[in-house]
Amino acid sequence: MLLWIVLFALVTSPLGLLGRRTPRPLIGWGLAVLPLSLFVLLALQIPLIASGGRLDEAVPWVPAMGLELRFSLDGLGMLFALIITGIGTLIVGYAGAYMANDAGLGRFLVYMFLFMGAMLGVVLAGNILTMFVFWELTSITSYLLIGYKHDYPDARRGAQQSLLITGIGGLALLLGLLILAAAAQQVGVSVADSYRFDALIAAGEQIRQTALYAPAVALIFLGCFTKSAQFPFHFWLPGAMQAPTPASAFLHSATMVKAGIYLLARLSPALGETLLWNGTLVAVGGFTFVFGSIVAFRQYDIKALLAYTTLSMLGGLVMMIGLGGKYGAEAVVTGILAHALYKSSLFMVAGIIDHEAGTRDLNKLGALRRYMPITMVVTAIALLSQMGIPILMGFVSKEWMLKAALESSLPAPWPLVALVALVIGAVGYIIAAWRLFRNAFLGEPSPTVQKHHLVDPKWSMLLSPAVPSALSLILPLGLLPAVSSLLSPAASAVYGAPFTFELYLYREVNTALLISLGVIAVGALFATQQQRLAAHKIIASIDGAVVFDKMIEGLLAFATGMTRMIQSGRLRTYLLYVVLVFMLFVGTPFVAYGLDDIRFVLDENLRFYEVVITALIPISVIATIAARSRLGAIIAIGVAGAMVALIFVLFSAPDLALTQLLIEVLSTVFLLFVFSVLPSRFASLSPAWVRWRDAVIATVFGVMMALLVLATSSNTDFPSLAPWFLANSLSEGKGANVVNVILVDFRGFDTLGEITVLFIAVLGIYGLLRFRRVKPDERASGRDAQTIMPGEDLNL
Amino acid sequence: MSILLPIAIGSLFAGAVYLLLRRSVVKLFLGLTLLSHGVNLLIFSMGDGLRRGVPPITAADGTTLPGTTDPLVQALILTAIVISFGILAFILALAYRANQAVKSDDLDDMVTTDRL
Repeated sequence: MLLWIVLFALVTSPLGLLGRRTPRPLIGWGLAVLPLSLFVLLALQIPLIASGGRLDEAVPWVPAMGLELRFSLDGLGMLFALIITGIGTLIVGYAGAYMANDAGLGRFLVYMFLFMGAMLGVVLAGNILTMFVFWELTSITSYLLIGYKHDYPDARRGAQQSLLITGIGGLALLLGLLILAAAAQQVGVSVADSYRFDALIAAGEQIRQTALYAPAVALIFLGCFTKSAQFPFHFWLPGAMQAPTPASAFLHSATMVKAGIYLLARLSPALGETLLWNGTLVAVGGFTFVFGSIVAFRQYDIKALLAYTTLSMLGGLVMMIGLGGKYGAEAVVTGILAHALYKSSLFMVAGIIDHEAGTRDLNKLGALRRYMPITMVVTAIALLSQMGIPILMGFVSKEWMLKAALESSLPAPWPLVALVALVIGAVGYIIAAWRLFRNAFLGEPSPTVQKHHLVDPKWSMLLSPAVPSALSLILPLGLLPAVSSLLSPAASAVYGAPFTFELYLYREVNTALLISLGVIAVGALFATQQQRLAAHKIIASIDGAVVFDKMIEGLLAFATGMTRMIQSGRLRTYLLYVVLVFMLFVGTPFVAYGLDDIRFVLDENLRFYEVVITALIPISVIATIAARSRLGAIIAIGVAGAMVALIFVLFSAPDLALTQLLIEVLSTVFLLFVFSVLPSRFASLSPAWVRWRDAVIATVFGVMMALLVLATSSNTDFPSLAPWFLANSLSEGKGANVVNVILVDFRGFDTLGEITVLFIAVLGIYGLLRFRRVKPDERASGRDAQTIMPGEDLNL
Repeated sequence: MSILLPIAIGSLFAGAVYLLLRRSVVKLFLGLTLLSHGVNLLIFSMGDGLRRGVPPITAADGTTLPGTTDPLVQALILTAIVISFGILAFILALAYRANQAVKSDDLDDMVTTDRL
């Protein structure tokens, strides 16, 4: 069933193209049936999961290497899958209304459905390699969605940033996961099982003892921190707000950015309970939590404000995983649910305000309470939940986070660090939430607001934020036992052992409650000063995006410089680099290892004429180079060719000698013909130092080649193929001339290739010589008079 | 094999590289010719020894003389000779056309627009 759920989401994605039709709101809600059906299907499994059961499915591929498509459903996967399909249903319906005037809705919905399938694959995967494939797929679909408005430079920039950052993280993650599997194999897990989550968790204790543990954890951290926008990789998330609001609400708050949280939570029973794991997570998560919430209330773009609170909350969840223990696990799953509800609602409200008022700028809004009362109520509930005001889901979540910090069993500084981070961050949340509400809904209407005729949107648009907002209120009031029975198996998966817990709104006056109330009081005090605080210079954000852009610019400049240097457009530069690289990579190992192989064997049967013939070759080479006239060069190079032919004659190669002589004669005739139209003397084109440099390079190259020949001719590592050809030539190939039999029979395809090359060369020559006259105005545009194309005559 | 053939091969390669690095199309052509000679002799020296008077031809009954020379390298060179001739002829035609078009055999007079 799980395989079919993922496949269904991916395969039905082209149906999103229906979004091209009108009426778009109706199409949107019609298509919302697809995720809704998956939601219902998953919800039917809740009783099984709540009773501690799990579903497992595997499609083996290469079992010996542990390659399989494995899906499993447990409490944690169930929580995420319900959020993905549930919020997904609302988002798809909302998108139809929000983008009613956007012709690209079809494309957008296809990406959204693809993403939904990929994200379901991540949370349902039971094999780390299966998970990784879907993990990367979410990065790609996220890239497509951020770059949806690709005619805007900011959208392209945001998309590129997110792809690069999550892409780099993805590579690190893959490496980390492979190291993790290798560590599992070291401690005796079979290769076939070593990629399975359950096997890794079972072997967790031994894996933590291996030397591979630390590098694996570091790389997995890198993958999760980039995906979940932890400091210092946070900056792609605000940039990702270039995506259409439905995508931001879905990917960049409720689901995709939680993939890193998911993986950390999933692996924490296997890898947790070490100082490396817990300390890093509390430190990074805690810092991100505080950083995000402080930067958030400086923002005046509603979506940017929400983006920073989102990355802050992601930090909070990372911190909870770091705190560990039962309370940590409970806080993680409760926080995920509470955040998904209120933040998706807030994003959709931001979209509504943008849609109705034409701006998301808090300085240009105000007094929306008069025009959009229902929107205001929806927003208020969600914001109260974010603030952590009692009787809302956010309050329960914050309560559990404080409890996790207070009850943590970590060594000394960490619980306190987490507590301080929680208090500061929570105050920031209250300021940010109040700032949003105060500037958008209260106060006096700004000129922008007065200009537009503002009303509450239709229910097709308002329903989507209203549902999660209402749930933030209804769940804690009436349904906490039901929620607890859903969250208990999820928390068990994070904790690593089955247990149950009960969420409650109020039980007794304890430290957590007092801190919570204190935070609200302090937050309220600061919130009244929000304008002054936001203007404060000291709370300046460390803009990671600038650093990132500088890095990318530097990389591009370096690449351009390299390309300019190597790709000069001159043949001799390319050749120079080829020769130098060859000398470096062949010459260095040869000098290091091969010099002993050089054998200077003197042939005692050497005849006088052989010495003369061989010696004439270097002489004719020098003569060719030194020749001042073209005729001299032709004569010199003809001598070299003839001497090569004579060497073939002397050393038992009559066929080669025949061919060489024939070709030599032909070449000379051609040369004489062509050279007759060229100036008869060579001009000295290069400066002297270049000629000397080239002479040195050429000499070194020649000496190296000569030594290589000396070294290799003594090589007897491989048996010669010659005896086989000699023995089989007559019997198999029916020919006494073995060379000819090889050419036409044993290696006939070589000859076919040779004929093909000749044929192509003939075609090329024919083309070059035939097309003589092309009028200049018939040339393709964009090239100047210096450009020569085959068959063009520019001097016409 | 004595030291003479490696010297000849080395000199062919050295001369080829020097000529290939020149600006003249004609010298480029000469360099390629020398390069193909050098490569052919290099392959020739890679067989199982150079011997005199024992060409790779079998007797009527299929037997060969002891120490018959390596036929495989000869077959490879034969292919190489013909292919390099094809390429050289093409370059000659190219040089001929380029000379017609720009009245020069200097490669730098034939710069293209695809600069960075």
